[in-house]
Amino acid sequence: MLATVLTLIGRRVLLSFLILFIVSVLLFIVLRALPVDPAAMSLPPNATVAEIEAKRHEMGLDLSLPQQYLIWLSHAVSGDLGNSIQFRRGVLGLVASTLPATIELAVLAMLVASLLGLAGGLALFHVRGTAKEPALDLGTVILLSLPEFLWALFFILVVGVALRWLPFTGRIDPDMRLPVTTGFLLIDSWIAGRPDIFRSAIEHLILPSLALGIAFSPAIMRVLRSSLIDVYQEDYIHLARLRGLGEKHILIRHALKNAILPTLSLMGVQFGFLFGGTLLVELIFSYPGLGNLMVDAVRNADLPIIQAVGLTYCIVVLSINTIVDSLYVILNPKLRLR
Amino acid sequence: MDTLAARKLSVSAALAGRPVNVIDNLDFTLAPGRILGIVGESGAGKSMIGRTIAQLLPPLFSVSQGELMFDGQDLVTMAAEDRRELLGRDIAFVPQEPMSGLNPVLTIGRQIDEHLARLKVGGRRARFDRAIEMLEAVHLPRARELLSKYPHQLSGGMCQRVLIAMAFASRPKLLVADEPTTALDVTIQARIVQLIAEMQRQDGTSVVFITHDLRLAAQICDEILVLYAGRVAEYGPAREIFARPRHPYTRCLQLANPVMSGARRGLFTLPERMPGLAALSGLTGCAFASRCPVVKDDCRSVAPPPVEVGPAHRAACLHSELTATIAAPDLPAEAEPSAAAPLLTVNNLGKTFRVGRGFFRHESVEAVKNVNFDLADNEFVGIVGESGSGKSTVARMLCGLETTTSGTVALAGRDVSAGDAAARRHLRAYAQMVFQDPQSALNPRRRVGSIVTQSMEATGTGDRAARLARAQALLSEIGLPPEAALRFPPQLSGGQRQRVNIARALCAEPRILIADEIVSGLDVSVQAQLLNLLLRLRRQRGFAMLFISHDLSVVRYLCDKVLVMYRGEVVESGPTAEVFDNPQHAYTKALLAAVPPDDPSSAWSPSTEASDRDAATGNPL
Repeated sequence: MLATVLTLIGRRVLLSFLILFIVSVLLFIVLRALPVDPAAMSLPPNATVAEIEAKRHEMGLDLSLPQQYLIWLSHAVSGDLGNSIQFRRGVLGLVASTLPATIELAVLAMLVASLLGLAGGLALFHVRGTAKEPALDLGTVILLSLPEFLWALFFILVVGVALRWLPFTGRIDPDMRLPVTTGFLLIDSWIAGRPDIFRSAIEHLILPSLALGIAFSPAIMRVLRSSLIDVYQEDYIHLARLRGLGEKHILIRHALKNAILPTLSLMGVQFGFLFGGTLLVELIFSYPGLGNLMVDAVRNADLPIIQAVGLTYCIVVLSINTIVDSLYVILNPKLRLR
Repeated sequence: MDTLAARKLSVSAALAGRPVNVIDNLDFTLAPGRILGIVGESGAGKSMIGRTIAQLLPPLFSVSQGELMFDGQDLVTMAAEDRRELLGRDIAFVPQEPMSGLNPVLTIGRQIDEHLARLKVGGRRARFDRAIEMLEAVHLPRARELLSKYPHQLSGGMCQRVLIAMAFASRPKLLVADEPTTALDVTIQARIVQLIAEMQRQDGTSVVFITHDLRLAAQICDEILVLYAGRVAEYGPAREIFARPRHPYTRCLQLANPVMSGARRGLFTLPERMPGLAALSGLTGCAFASRCPVVKDDCRSVAPPPVEVGPAHRAACLHSELTATIAAPDLPAEAEPSAAAPLLTVNNLGKTFRVGRGFFRHESVEAVKNVNFDLADNEFVGIVGESGSGKSTVARMLCGLETTTSGTVALAGRDVSAGDAAARRHLRAYAQMVFQDPQSALNPRRRVGSIVTQSMEATGTGDRAARLARAQALLSEIGLPPEAALRFPPQLSGGQRQRVNIARALCAEPRILIADEIVSGLDVSVQAQLLNLLLRLRRQRGFAMLFISHDLSVVRYLCDKVLVMYRGEVVESGPTAEVFDNPQHAYTKALLAAVPPDDPSSAWSPSTEASDRDAATGNPL
C-alpha cells in the first residue's frame, strides 16, 4: 500500500511541474495583456515620458514577451519571484507571511464543512422516506443557495455586533505580539507557550471558518446521503442483517466505510473551491491572508504579486488533490496493487 | 419438532393500492437434518420466502396471514430483537452473489472476526484460530494468507466458500441457501453444492435450498416445493416429484430443460410468462391456467386446492391426472450445415494481454492460444468452458472488439485479423454479435424500433418509414407484436429484451451470429423459447452461429459442433454428440461430470480435483 501511495505521489509531483509551467505561462500572458503599465505605476505621477521609458528599459518591459518570460522563469526557479511594486519587498516573502493565515482558515473551514456535511448527510439518510425528509431537504437547499459572504455578513451582524460574543476582524487581538516561527498562529502560540494568543487566534477564526464551512457543507451532505442509499442496496448490507448484526454496527462498520469514498472525492474538489472562497471571506473579516494580499495587488496592478499568488493557489490545489487521491488509495483496497 | 413449518402463510404487497398476495397460503414442514428444495422461475416468490424467514421484507410487503414456525416459535410474531438473535446464529444464509455478499473494503479476516465476535467467540486470538479452522473445513487452502485478503482478490467460488464457512460457524439449525451456485461455473457449482451437503450432514442442519434448477434440486433435496406465482404448485418427496410430476407446470419445466443423456428431444415451450402482480390481483381460478397445455374450463374459475396425489405428495391441480399426457414436442427439422467451403476459418488464433502497470513490472497473460476451427454456412458451433477459459475473448476477437495477437481469421475468403477499417467493414457485413446481458446491451432511452434497425441507421439505408416497416417485420419474425417497436426496453421482460437483442443482430442480414452467453440468466421456460427461436430462424433464413455458453445441456441441444476451451486452449472439439457421449480429454470429462445427471437416482460424482483447483489458485482472472 505504501509503495502505491508513494508511486502516486511521485507521479503527481512530476505532473505538477508541467501544470505549474503551463499555468505560469498563461498567467504571464494574461497579466501582460492587461492595459496597465507597471513602469509608470512604480514612478511618481509627475514622471516624464523619458523617465518612464528609462524605467521600462530597466524593468525589461521593452523586451519581447517570450524573453520577458524566460527572464522571469530563470529567476523563479532560483526562488526569486520578483519584487512587489507597491511594497518594494520580495514577493516570495509576502506570500510566505500570508499563506499560513489562509491555510489555517481553509483547514478549519474544511473541518467545519466536513463535520457539518457528515452529520447532515447521516441525518438526511436517517429520515429518508419519513415525514421529516421534505423539511430537511428544504433546509439543505437553503444552505446550498446561500453563498459564503452572506453567511459572513450574517455572523458579523448577529454574533459579532449584536451579541458581541466573538471578534470579527484580524487574526488576533491588536495588542498581542508573537515572534514568527512557522507563521501559523495556532502553532507559534504553542511554541511560545502563550495559551492566551492561541485562544484569541481560535476566536478570530471561528466566524470566518463557520461562514466558509457552512457554505460548503450541503454538497457533502447530499453526496453522503445518496452514496449511503446506494450502499444500502448492496448485497453485503443485506447479508450483514441476515447475520444478525445490529443496524448501528452495520452503518458504522460496513456502510460508512464504503459511502465515504465518493464523499471523499467530492471533498477534494470542494477544498479547491473553498480555498478560492477564502478570498472573499478574508476581505469581509479583514483577515490578513493571501486573499487580502491578492485583492490589494489587483487594486494596485501589482503584477508580480498577482503572478505569485496565482501560482500559490495552483500549488495548493494540486497538493490537495494529491493528498485526497492518496487517501482514496488507502481507503479503497481495490486501487492498491497486489 | 420440525425445524421450519409454514402454515397458511401469505405475504402481500400493497403496491398498486389493494394488497396482492405474492406468497399465497404456503404450507410446508422441514424436519431436522432434511433439505427442502424450493423450485421456481424468477417472479415465483422464491426469494420472498428467504426474506420472510428473516422478516426483512421490502417496503410495502407484509405477512398478511398464517404463521412461520422456527423450532416452535413463530418468526412472524416474535419480537424483532429476539429474531435478530436467531439470525446468523440459529438461522444462517448463503446468498446468490458471493462476490457482492462480502464487504469490498474489509478483509476476509475482519469479516469473519466480526461474525465470530457476534457469536461471542471470546478473544481475538481464539477467533483467529477459529477462522482458520473454519476456512480449512470448507477446503480453502492457505487459510492464514486468505484472512488478510480482500474480496476482490478472490474468485467467486472462494467467496462462496468463505460465506458458507461463516454460515456454518455457529452450527445453525437452519440454513437458507438462495440460488447459491447460479453465479458460479459448473464445476464450482457442483463442488459448492456438495460442500453445503457435507456441512449439512456433519451438523445435522436443515436446509432450505432455493433454486430454479429442478434437476439440481431433485439430485440433492429430500423434498421439493414447486412454486408458481407465489402459490404451491406441487410439494412432495424430491425423487417422486421428478419421476412422476403431477402438476402440469412441473412437467413443463422438466420438458423445457434440455437433456444431457440419451437421445436429444424437443424442448417444451410455455407460451407467454408468469402472471405479474397486476394480473394476480384480479385472478380467479388457477394461476397457471393461461399457459397450461391441458387446461380445462373449470381451471379458470376454481382455484385448485392442494390434493393428495401420493404418499406425502400434494399437487394443486384440478386435473392432475392429465399431467402425464404432456409430452415433449418432436425435434424441429434441422437445417443441414453446408458441406461447401467453410464460411469462417480460424487459424492459430491467439491473444496476449499485458497486465500490471509500470514499464518494467508487467506480465503477459495468454488468454487465448492456438485456437483453430471452421464454421460452415448454417452451422451452429458451441464453445464451452469455465469463466476465464478465453471463450469470450475468442468471440470478441472475431467481432473485431479485440485485436488479435497472432493467427488469422478468414471470413468468406478474406483475412480480417488485421483489424483495419476495410477488414472491419467486411466483418460487419458478415458477422453480428449478440451480447449476454440484454438489459445493458439495449439503450433504455431508445425505442425498440430504432434499436432493432441500428445497422440501417449506421449505413444510412432507408428513411424513417422504411426503417419502421423493417423493424416491425423483424419483430414479428422473432415473435413480438409490431407495436413493440414503439416501446422502450425497460417495458419489456427479460426474454423479450433478448429477442430484441437478436432481432437487432439479424437486421443486417448477417451470415454469422456470434452469441456470448445469450440464454444464461434467463428462466428455463424463456430459455427454451429462445433456443427454439434460434433453430427456427436458421431454418427460415439460414445463418451460422458461434454460441458461447457455460451450460453444456444447452449446447448439446443447439449446436452441431462443440469446442471445449480450458485456459485459453481448445482441448477438445468435434461433433457435439461425439464429444459429449465419449469425451477424451480429462477436462471435458470433468465438465460433463459436474452437470447433475438427468436421472436423480443415478449417482452424481463431479470430480473434486478440477474444482478444488479454483480454490487453490484463487485466480479471479
